Amino acid sequence: MIVDQRGRPTVQLKDLRSGGPLPLRHLNRHQPHSSPSLSWNGRYLAVIIQRGNRRLVLIEDRLSGRAHPLRLPSGRNPVRLSLAPDGLQLAVQTADRGRWQVELLDLSGLLEADRPGGLRRTTPVEPMQ
Amino acid sequence: MTDLGHRVTPLVTPLLLAVCLMGCGGSGPRPQPGISAALQRSAESRRWPDLGDRWLVSIAGRNGRERVELVDLRNGQPVPLPGLNQADAQPVSVSVSADGNRIALVRRREGRTELTLYRRSVGTLQRLPLEPAGVPREVSLDGSGRLLAVQVSRQGHWDVDLVRLP
Repeated sequence: MIVDQRGRPTVQLKDLRSGGPLPLRHLNRHQPHSSPSLSWNGRYLAVIIQRGNRRLVLIEDRLSGRAHPLRLPSGRNPVRLSLAPDGLQLAVQTADRGRWQVELLDLSGLLEADRPGGLRRTTPVEPMQ
Repeated sequence: MTDLGHRVTPLVTPLLLAVCLMGCGGSGPRPQPGISAALQRSAESRRWPDLGDRWLVSIAGRNGRERVELVDLRNGQPVPLPGLNQADAQPVSVSVSADGNRIALVRRREGRTELTLYRRSVGTLQRLPLEPAGVPREVSLDGSGRLLAVQVSRQGHWDVDLVRLP
């Protein structure tokens, strides 16, 4: 959710079991933040941030600690976004000549899937004990 | 031929590199022009996107009217939502579960703003009361469709309510 942090709209991630906030490595600046969206298990958090005079999407991978800043290929500013439950697609609302539009992006080359219940679909080769 | 090749190479190499960075690299976000163009063609405006596994719900505007639309991303086609869109209701915000079966909707109707849940498998729209009373604005379903977060205005303050659904 977005909370007011010293007058700056800032994304905050809460653990529903404990009610406490969870640390976010890359999202304590570039405010104002808006339109947060989580993947199934909360591995990925996508949010719109401000960098200079541009709005762009930042996806924080809470497992690897990496940040993925994304400029839209259309060059438009994101207004609202939704990350697919598995994190492999992003829908972004933009404005084009005074009309709201929705653009879809395929993130499968950028992120690995965050499956329900942490299910892994690949079978990594592991050494036999 | 060799001379031509030498003259062209400095121009072609950066071009190829740029094309590869935009299109064939596997590491960046890739636009989905087919489905994005289909979405733009099928409505005059479209807002409030929310993704399920293979579903996109949004509020689509046509001829000055807005309605909730659920698109199957496998073929880009909207699916019927009988009983969800009503002539006297204006959608405010919308969210879909991962399997596309449940759609949470905030709508304005008869001067009131109400929170509703639509179950596609049975085609029913159920009003969800807020306790204590408030004015709902933004809604978000979790992937399972069993937990709903709703932003609610109460006496000038914003709250976020969590609603567990059967």
